[in-house]
Amino acid sequence: MSGINITELDKVYDSGTENVVAVESLSVDIDHGEFLVLVGPSGCGKSTTLRCLAGLEDATAGTIRFDGEDVTEYRASERDVAMVFQNYALYPHMTVRGNIGFGLKLSTKLTGDEIEAKVEDVAEMLGIRELLDEKPKALSGGQQQRVALGRAIVREPSVFLMDEPLSNLDAKLRSEMRTELQELQADLDVTTVYVTHDQTEAMAMGDRIAVMDGGVLQQVGSPEEVYRSPVNRFVADFIGSPSINLLTADVEDGTLAGPGGFAYELDDSEPVDGHERVSVGVRPEDIEVVESGRNAADVTVVEPMGNENFLYMEIGGHELTARVSPTVRPAEGSQVAFDFDEAALYLFDVETGDALKTKTDSVDSAVVGTTQN
Amino acid sequence: MRDQRRKDAVWRFLTYAFVITMVVVMMVPLYWMLVAATLPQEQFLQFPPRLIPGTAFLDNFAALQERLDFVRTIRNSVFIAVVYTLLSLVLCSMGGFAFAKYEFKYKEPIFYTILATLVLPIQLLVIPLFLLMAQLDWTNTFRAIILPWAANPIGIFLMRQNMKSIPDALLESARMDGATEFQIFYRIALPTMRSSLAALAIILFLFQWDLFLYPLVILESADMYTIPIGLAQLTGFQRIYYDQIMVAATLAIVPMVVLFLVLQKQFVSGILAGSLKE
Repeated sequence: MSGINITELDKVYDSGTENVVAVESLSVDIDHGEFLVLVGPSGCGKSTTLRCLAGLEDATAGTIRFDGEDVTEYRASERDVAMVFQNYALYPHMTVRGNIGFGLKLSTKLTGDEIEAKVEDVAEMLGIRELLDEKPKALSGGQQQRVALGRAIVREPSVFLMDEPLSNLDAKLRSEMRTELQELQADLDVTTVYVTHDQTEAMAMGDRIAVMDGGVLQQVGSPEEVYRSPVNRFVADFIGSPSINLLTADVEDGTLAGPGGFAYELDDSEPVDGHERVSVGVRPEDIEVVESGRNAADVTVVEPMGNENFLYMEIGGHELTARVSPTVRPAEGSQVAFDFDEAALYLFDVETGDALKTKTDSVDSAVVGTTQN
Repeated sequence: MRDQRRKDAVWRFLTYAFVITMVVVMMVPLYWMLVAATLPQEQFLQFPPRLIPGTAFLDNFAALQERLDFVRTIRNSVFIAVVYTLLSLVLCSMGGFAFAKYEFKYKEPIFYTILATLVLPIQLLVIPLFLLMAQLDWTNTFRAIILPWAANPIGIFLMRQNMKSIPDALLESARMDGATEFQIFYRIALPTMRSSLAALAIILFLFQWDLFLYPLVILESADMYTIPIGLAQLTGFQRIYYDQIMVAATLAIVPMVVLFLVLQKQFVSGILAGSLKE
């Protein structure tokens, strides 16, 4: 087990004619035994960062330390890390036993019997003991996934790296494996860096989440922190499902005036002081449908989920999503009035996207102090 | 509906007719060779030709063996072809792996230069190679036959194309597991390439097995002759020993057939199946 310190990591690909910056001055500290999720849209540099940690890519600049030791120049095999690949990358010509034991055979001085015992232990733990003599092609997706995990676990590495390991499983299996993986990680207490593009997975699994965009780390924090106190519009938009409602409004004497006659009077106009226009964000669950109010929207689609309803509405050509109780079910095509608490309101600088105000409504649990970079 | 069925039937008939014709066209000379090997010379030349095998195979073979130590000739050919095939498989797969999976300076120019050598006909290379071998004092040796062709451009090209299909994640996974680059090559890449290696083995073996002009120039003494040269010796100025040629030709295809049968079971597709979840 070890902590990881990444300092000012740069990764630039030289494609011959131009340089492509994949990761730009990324710094983050990961604690012992922590489960950190790197999340972002495709091409945001999350996988590249992981590959730099693994030693599969050379860092262009910056340092990577495991437990204080500078491993930036180390080869993958010298870093004591194990990686689970998105497509599992099982050796097709070896049995499950061979696949799991391969790393031990190459990188340790264990005898055949000792390796055998370890492989059996891990297989037992993952419930794949009866598959040990099968070849990968005879296994289902979930079983292959377990073998890939077994291959990582058996080496007892100090760091686990996982590159979208669940994205090839069907939805039900994915959520099962999600829980299993978390339990496993907690049991083994191994520092884990997990890459995903799925913000739901990130929220559910991470001790902390690192949100990346365009090769730049946007924010690191607990799931609640990135959800409630995003540092900018991108993080607010990326985290949360359904996505936050965003529209641009003019600031007029402490009142926000948006498209389609949208107007919202701020009690506290201090965050918008000096701004003529701002981006306004409201989470779907914070929108309430009310009897009468200043703002009204046209209902386009109602999606009943059973325990809640999603209302898709339109205001001045802007889409608006609301997550409401199942009893609220306006007719499609009708007009409804809506409102929200100022405490739940997000405001962003219209140019830079930086947060001016985030959620300030009360929550029961304490919000962890920010560790953003 | 009925028209469609009729059309299908006609098509099927035409397809079979075509395939059967092709098979006959290809098999008749082969059959004639087998039959002729069992006939004495007089019967071979009679008209209409005799199409039923005779009993003179061993007599013909004895005559052949007396004129030219053909057992030794076969042994020479097998030795050269086997050593060449093994050596070339190693070199071509290593070269192909490097071109498929590694980045290095001038990779593309080097690769295309290797490919470009494919357009050079053997006839063009025979004289320079002979001079080179003479300078090395390698004439009349097997190594002079084997080594110049060992890094075979077709083989390198074929292995490169096939090895490109090995997923990078598989190699990276082995790298993470602590495998050296050479271990990655022979423990991961090679086993997944079994069917391609088998196909390449046949191509390489056949190439060396059929090589005529170059060994003819290099090999001087009869005890070093390979089968194509041995066969050529049977066509004398005064007389062509058809019976012996047919025996020799029949024996010459045996190792190829054996090799093909042995490697055939490697041609199972889907060696890579199951390594990756698509």
